[in-house]
Amino acid sequence: MDAQVVIDSYINTIAARLPRRLRNDVGVELRTLLTEQLTAAAATLGRAPDEELATDVVRIFGRPEEVAARYSPRGFQIIEPEQAPMFIKLSVACAAIQAALTLPAVFASRTTIGQWLFNWGYGACAGIVILLVWFGLATWVRRRSPVDPESLTRPWSHHLFWLPLSADWRPVAYVDHEPFQRGAELGALPLGVVFTIFFIAPAWFLGFLTPKGTNASWALYEEHFRHSLLPILIALMAVRLALCAAAGINAGLRARLTVIRFGLWVCFTGLLYWTVFSWKIFASPIPDALFKAWLMIYLLVNSIQILLRIYRGLTQVRVPKTLA
Amino acid sequence: MVKTSDSSTAKLDTELRRGAVVLAVLSQLRTAQYGYSLRQALAERGMPIEEGTLYPLMRRLEEQGLLVSEWRIADGPPRRYYKLSPKGSRLYVEQTDNWHALVATMNKLLD
Repeated sequence: MDAQVVIDSYINTIAARLPRRLRNDVGVELRTLLTEQLTAAAATLGRAPDEELATDVVRIFGRPEEVAARYSPRGFQIIEPEQAPMFIKLSVACAAIQAALTLPAVFASRTTIGQWLFNWGYGACAGIVILLVWFGLATWVRRRSPVDPESLTRPWSHHLFWLPLSADWRPVAYVDHEPFQRGAELGALPLGVVFTIFFIAPAWFLGFLTPKGTNASWALYEEHFRHSLLPILIALMAVRLALCAAAGINAGLRARLTVIRFGLWVCFTGLLYWTVFSWKIFASPIPDALFKAWLMIYLLVNSIQILLRIYRGLTQVRVPKTLA
Repeated sequence: MVKTSDSSTAKLDTELRRGAVVLAVLSQLRTAQYGYSLRQALAERGMPIEEGTLYPLMRRLEEQGLLVSEWRIADGPPRRYYKLSPKGSRLYVEQTDNWHALVATMNKLLD
């Protein structure tokens, strides 16, 4: 093969990957440059330009895709690198909320996991696409009208597709949640005792609260639940109450019990989720549904608290034990 | 281990030179040059730049308004000649001052 054919073939491969407006101009220029490069290389080696030398010259120049990319205008960045972590977190949160709201239907056997996947499961992608469009438009707006570096004021267009900027950062005073948390836990202790008593004997509890003669037989547990899961739940509640009381009274003990108490809290919450979605609690259907609805509110609040605790734990700076 | 160290050194060298490439190109385009002659001029003065990097860079600088170009047909194939635009000339003066200041600072740090 003729050396010039090698170069022309290489140029054509690059040109095919270039924007139309650059194709001829860059193609002709590269052809001249590579031909001169080849002539110079042949002169240095003291031989005539041939296929092998031409191949070496174009290989040194680079793969056609890479060369074309160097000539092409830089691609559009949909999400700026500094916004990527937020985008991922929001996408995960979007999918998680979608799953949390719709997956219970699968456990309640109202639908199958396959049906769920093709409806709500893949449907969660819609939320992620909306986020992608939002972040893309925000990036575009910010590139078109950057923040004034002197005054750090945002142009009005930034507010159409708002995303935080480093200029938005303001120091936030550190809040020590510990004293508040300790007080709140001690305050909630009587409520926990009442809740535990209710769990042990709901019919007795309701009979105690209501006027004599009121029939509280509707608050009778379903037999299977009463014999298998209920004792575990009550035992966990009792242990949690005891540890809560100990931690509230003794500050030193409180620090040492943190991990155990958190673990028990997570276990108890998980068990309650299982109870709500997989067990029949009360023998009568209406009290069962009402109690489960109430439990769901309780679980939702607890789940948010657990997630916040995990988030704070993961993002907090701790002095390593070796330096403490 | 030695290989890793060598590749790290090569990367650092590349990083160090990368910042100077644009100014080096601008310095040689005070007079009109085409791609190959520019590459030769830079290499002769101790600044070899890969052609795959240099030629696209000249295009980008032209798009930024720092260079102007024209096709010339003399004794040989058509060649595209580049030289500094008025904007490029101003930038070249500014960047030269910045470069001297940076060299002075670095010399103080390295002494």
